[in-house]
Amino acid sequence: MIEKFTTGQNSQGEWAWLLALYLYLGSLGGCLFLLFRIFRLPLWFAVVSIGLVLLGAVTLLLKLGSPQRAWRAMSRPTTSWISRGVLFVAGFIIFGCLSIAPSIAALSWLPWNDGTALGNVLGWVAGFFALLTTLYPGFVVSNSRAIPFWNSPLLPLLFFTYAALAAAGAVLLGAPTAPSSLAQVAPLAEGLIVVNAALSAVYLLAMSRAGGSASESVHRLNRAPLGAAYWIGVILVGLIVPLAMLAWLKSAAALAGACIQIGALLFRYCVLKAGVYYVPAALTPAKVDFSTLTRTSADFAREYAGMTANRATGRR
Amino acid sequence: MSESTAPTTNGSVKWGVAVDLKRCTGCQGCTIACKLENGTPPGVFWTRVIEKEEGTFPLAYKVFMPIRCNHCGDAPCIPVCPSGASYRRDKDNLVLIDQDKCIGCGTCVVACPYDVRFMPESARGYYGETRIPFEEVSYQKWQKGTVQKCTLCVHRIDRGLEPACVETCPTKALVFGDLNDSGSEIVKLIRERPHFQPSVELGTDPCVYYLT
Repeated sequence: MIEKFTTGQNSQGEWAWLLALYLYLGSLGGCLFLLFRIFRLPLWFAVVSIGLVLLGAVTLLLKLGSPQRAWRAMSRPTTSWISRGVLFVAGFIIFGCLSIAPSIAALSWLPWNDGTALGNVLGWVAGFFALLTTLYPGFVVSNSRAIPFWNSPLLPLLFFTYAALAAAGAVLLGAPTAPSSLAQVAPLAEGLIVVNAALSAVYLLAMSRAGGSASESVHRLNRAPLGAAYWIGVILVGLIVPLAMLAWLKSAAALAGACIQIGALLFRYCVLKAGVYYVPAALTPAKVDFSTLTRTSADFAREYAGMTANRATGRR
Repeated sequence: MSESTAPTTNGSVKWGVAVDLKRCTGCQGCTIACKLENGTPPGVFWTRVIEKEEGTFPLAYKVFMPIRCNHCGDAPCIPVCPSGASYRRDKDNLVLIDQDKCIGCGTCVVACPYDVRFMPESARGYYGETRIPFEEVSYQKWQKGTVQKCTLCVHRIDRGLEPACVETCPTKALVFGDLNDSGSEIVKLIRERPHFQPSVELGTDPCVYYLT
């Protein structure tokens, strides 16, 4: 509690594991559905993607202080990214379910499928909402002016590429049951690992050069306790190990997919935990001359005389 | 009650606080007055005096800076709120939270650059599960699982009184008044004294002015 009473660079403590899990699951589910559409993957990938987004929504409910009022979260779509996200997720779940429903034997009587115009429209609308579901988590975080480390246009891009990598990793994870998908997605996963590594480096370099709270966040990512999670979990397990497996040990693709999931989840967690509040320039000695607050004995005597005179005349 | 998410408009009352840093002694009187007036839970301080060490021995001294919600003219906490719980009261531009609407997502907590929004996770009192009679009464003013912050003692303002922190300050370092009234004491002080607004560079238009 003492840090609340001293000036300094304070970490945000509001968003941690549960929100990281929500951001991870939501964007993973959305992007997995996109891969399902693009690569014509087996149907169960679509079912899993919708399930992941639903699980993400449940995680958000667990994070809320008053989950019984969760329905109010869609009240301000014009200004709030959380509101927009709730609508995107709702749209994705509704249209995603509708688009794949006829593929399920019990619902094969429905009058649309992939071959019909209505089925195609539903599929593309579901894909559109899946894209929005993948994109919005980055904006939820980067919208905060109070935390310079997050408040960067690079962050939504990085969240998107990490979502794409996690979705590709999920396909690799399911590759043993769908071998044909491995050949399609493995090169994509390798490319995304390289892209994510490069983007992460650019992002961290930009933030460390930004100075103030942003560079303090980068500093915290590089030291204990967050440093271990970032360098071992995100970089080593999440990027280097799966890249090596995909390059030299194709038979371990599923394991590479699992490693990617660990890295993708820890990436969100590390970014959230490294968030440091903006330090007011007024509290930076270089910006404001606090020496004006020091007074000589003569100043005190003059002020005391003035206060006494004011008290006598009833003024402050 | 009229409410909006739009930035401050002129023509209405705009309550603000001027903090005379030359007068503040860091006694935390405002911190305690706020606790007593608003019955905030353990660890939550709607207003508090932060301190900073300046200089080097033997010419070292402490600077005290009382902080609270700045009731910003362009408050970043309002547009990010997904439920509409954070709003601006049109008649006097106070930034308030509707406790019945807040879902406790914490978005406003990370959006506020001043670290002055709080979400207590429990309704425990200072002495554990069993609350003292004062806590039984005062804890009815807020809800567990929702965000809370300084209201500038809106209940006192509506009765024509000053906020508790302002009234209790022994050195009269806090001056409360209408920033839209050119004849008010706060406007005169801001006009006459060198001052700064906290993190004004973020475009928040805070209504708290620090006189240096």
